[in-house]
Amino acid sequence: MNDMTPDRETRSANLKGLGCSRKRVEDARFTQGKGNYVDDIKLPGMLHGDFVRSPYAHARVVSINKDAALALPGVVAVLTAEDLAPLNLHWMPTLAGDKQMVLADGKVLFQGQEVAFVVAKDRYVAADAVELVEVEYEELPVIVDPFEALKTDVVLREDLAGQTHGAHGPRKHHNHIFTWEQGDETTTNQVLENADVVAEETMYYHRTHPCPLETCGSVASMDKVNGKLTLWGTFQAPHVVRTVASLLSGIEEHNIRVVSPDIGGGFGNKVGVYPGYVCSIVASIVTGVPVKWVEDRMENLMSTAFARDYWMTGKIAATKEGKITGLHCHVTADHGGFDACADPTKFPAGFMNICTGSYDIPVAYLAVDGVYTNKAPGGVSYRCSFRVTEAVYFIERMIEVLAIELNMDAAELRRINFIKKEQFPYQSALGWEYDSGDYHTAWDKALKAVDYEGLRREQAERVEAFKRGETRTLMGIGLSFFTEIVGAGPVKNCDILGMGMFDSCEIRIHPTGSAIARLGTISQGQGHATTFAQILASEIGLSADSITIEEGDTDTAPYGLGTYGSRSTPVAGAATAMAGRKIRAKAQMIAAYLLEVHDDDVEWDIDRFVVKGAPERFKTMKEIAYAAYNQAIPGIEPGLEAVSYYDPPNMTYPFGAYVCVMDIDVDTGVPEIRRFYALDDCGTRINPMIIEGQIHGGLTEALAVALGQEIAYDDLGNVKTGTLMDFFLPTAWEVPNYETDFTVTPSPHHPIGAKGVGESPHVGGVPCFSNAVQDAFRAFGNRHTNMPHDHWRIWQTANRLGLHD
Amino acid sequence: MELKDEIRINAPKDVVYAALNDPEVLRQCIPGCEELVKHSDTDLEAKVVLKVGPVKARFGGTVVLDTTGAPDAFSLTGQGNGGAAGHAKGGADVTLEEVDGVTILRYDAKAEIGGKLAQLGSRLIQSTAKKLAASFFTKFAEVVETVDA
Repeated sequence: MNDMTPDRETRSANLKGLGCSRKRVEDARFTQGKGNYVDDIKLPGMLHGDFVRSPYAHARVVSINKDAALALPGVVAVLTAEDLAPLNLHWMPTLAGDKQMVLADGKVLFQGQEVAFVVAKDRYVAADAVELVEVEYEELPVIVDPFEALKTDVVLREDLAGQTHGAHGPRKHHNHIFTWEQGDETTTNQVLENADVVAEETMYYHRTHPCPLETCGSVASMDKVNGKLTLWGTFQAPHVVRTVASLLSGIEEHNIRVVSPDIGGGFGNKVGVYPGYVCSIVASIVTGVPVKWVEDRMENLMSTAFARDYWMTGKIAATKEGKITGLHCHVTADHGGFDACADPTKFPAGFMNICTGSYDIPVAYLAVDGVYTNKAPGGVSYRCSFRVTEAVYFIERMIEVLAIELNMDAAELRRINFIKKEQFPYQSALGWEYDSGDYHTAWDKALKAVDYEGLRREQAERVEAFKRGETRTLMGIGLSFFTEIVGAGPVKNCDILGMGMFDSCEIRIHPTGSAIARLGTISQGQGHATTFAQILASEIGLSADSITIEEGDTDTAPYGLGTYGSRSTPVAGAATAMAGRKIRAKAQMIAAYLLEVHDDDVEWDIDRFVVKGAPERFKTMKEIAYAAYNQAIPGIEPGLEAVSYYDPPNMTYPFGAYVCVMDIDVDTGVPEIRRFYALDDCGTRINPMIIEGQIHGGLTEALAVALGQEIAYDDLGNVKTGTLMDFFLPTAWEVPNYETDFTVTPSPHHPIGAKGVGESPHVGGVPCFSNAVQDAFRAFGNRHTNMPHDHWRIWQTANRLGLHD
Repeated sequence: MELKDEIRINAPKDVVYAALNDPEVLRQCIPGCEELVKHSDTDLEAKVVLKVGPVKARFGGTVVLDTTGAPDAFSLTGQGNGGAAGHAKGGADVTLEEVDGVTILRYDAKAEIGGKLAQLGSRLIQSTAKKLAASFFTKFAEVVETVDA
């Protein structure tokens, strides 16, 4: 009877489950122009909004004259803070517990700040009307330097005047936001005083921007008949937006539906709540028709959330043999005009306390001071978990500086300080429990793959040839070994505005044996519809091709905290596996009934339950699904559905070993990347093809940040990099070939052992590119130079070291 | 932004100085100038249409002259506002020296620029300012030399 049953290998392959390089199901629509982004949404009678923005970085708004704008045919309304104040919507809470002006309330704090919102019948009329709004400003002194901000008498946030406590504790100065301390300061200082060797360095991790291809936008539609508000928008966390919108507007949460349609890249830029969202909602409430707001590229770069802007000073202590004994880190964090960092509430500097990196450092201390300046607010995790790129850049530069101080090879210095495999789970000096790792194996594999010894010999020969005048290029070998901390997170540690950072999955199996699963996350290009179906396929034995994944509609999806910080696979991926296991548990009872045996006498086999010891007797998941709906089974409810809300017991700790080989033309400052090798360990690998794509993308954004991408300000607070002419976005022209590799160290606490990977390459890539540039000049006395290493700055380094003489 | 140059004008110093204080001459010579009003010997107000790269806007501005060193030298400070397009403020020191009936005019100007003008036009501002200055003085020399002749 069962002669036609395919063998186990075939049945397993048919599922397209874990480990299958299944093609992305999303791509059919994306490659054929059938995506549905916010700007594709067009509703009958829809109006368009556009902002009047401040040209000044710090000024008083003396008066706003709307008359000329309102006289322009097609203009429906011009909203100012005065109009929003009666609704109490002229201010909004930020994710960091600060308050941000929705429309300038008497004063502007950064260039590009929203001053008035013009609503018109089409986008062009709105833009024309923006130019007609006359705003009179009175200039105030501009503070763009956080160190100056802590000294000056100039008060940036007059609304906080006299408040000695903020959302994160005491404030030391009227422009100071918080001090966040971790670790043991006294012991760390004692270790530093008594150490054989102490290396010190100050580094600036410059301000940059996620710059997704699709800018931010929203469409709000208030239906005054049924009292329901629908909000489509570029939201990485749609459920959080619904809750915040409800708290702000007073509209009950069941009357708000938030939809994230297709999103054209987020990288952290679309986590926060922006004035544009609020204004589109208010405008729709006021006008009674849908209102769309979509920002342009300049607005995106100068007003929505930036990333980094950390001044980091480190001291690292070691024995003469190179064993690290202690680490001290102080950060001055420039948060701009409002504290709008997107971090879990208890972590105002994110997970910066992962800055002990992959090393067994017995004692450490970290202090972060957040500061207000006249720059745009933000501080998001641009393709990384909360502030982890900053932390990893810091420790990977400190290791290099220590290697110089000790006159040691930097690869060897890393090796002798790695946390050993048998030390996991490892308790770090700054409070984290690393779940798993095998750093030595990964490091040895990486160094062998690139012939590290051979590279160092070649580099030494090149230095000699350079000194003899035979070449004008130098060779840099960039190393980095990183540990990410992702999957926020345990609700006991991590919440945003009080909302615990669990995530969720709800599964319905249809009678014919296909399924739909809905999650609390939202893909912005990660390929969730492909990979979550694969997790589920392996759990419930239905082919991934028969499983629809749906996200982003708060009316249908279970509550979740969204997608950022590589949390989707560690948290929602775990919820998916757990919900799948609930399905399987019920299926087991149904199978046992159908096979007329006890529940314990059947066992799971890829896509079916079989009777133990009698494998020819079985019920496939498809058969079970049909029976679940159509057969009356005593003691079992009809249907086959499950929901799981997953609160992870710990973060996951993906890691990796990267090597970059670079040739630098000393006379032009142009770096040429000869080779880039990336070994990633993200635990269980769900879809190797998607992992490889994620690594290519993350490395490319790392290259961008390390070699040129920045948000630069002049002394007057003008954004000097407000267009893609000045803001570096790499193209195929600048991007080298990447070699990818892997080891697999599954997470011991994640249901399928997966750890998350989308952000690892960015976290590990930035220090790797930067270390390559700096290493090229090590033989000539270079110790540290700040990023971004654009041609001009590299040339300056060569010049400073006398290489042009 | 800083701008420095030296121009030779075929006219005596007092003629050049008088022309520099004549609103009608200035209006003719300032590129894009739509209106120039002299409120007093030291206060001027102007409306100028300017185009820098992709930004084109009408700027309203005021200029204050310091004529204590006249006619050998004078200085001016001013500010202009183009609304959404941006704003600028700055000053210039000008000296006039007569050599054989020819006036050598030297100027040394500094400006601070803000808003969209600074963002979009930053890499164009220096060259645009040079071009505008060249255009002003070409026209100015032409007008003054015609008057003098």
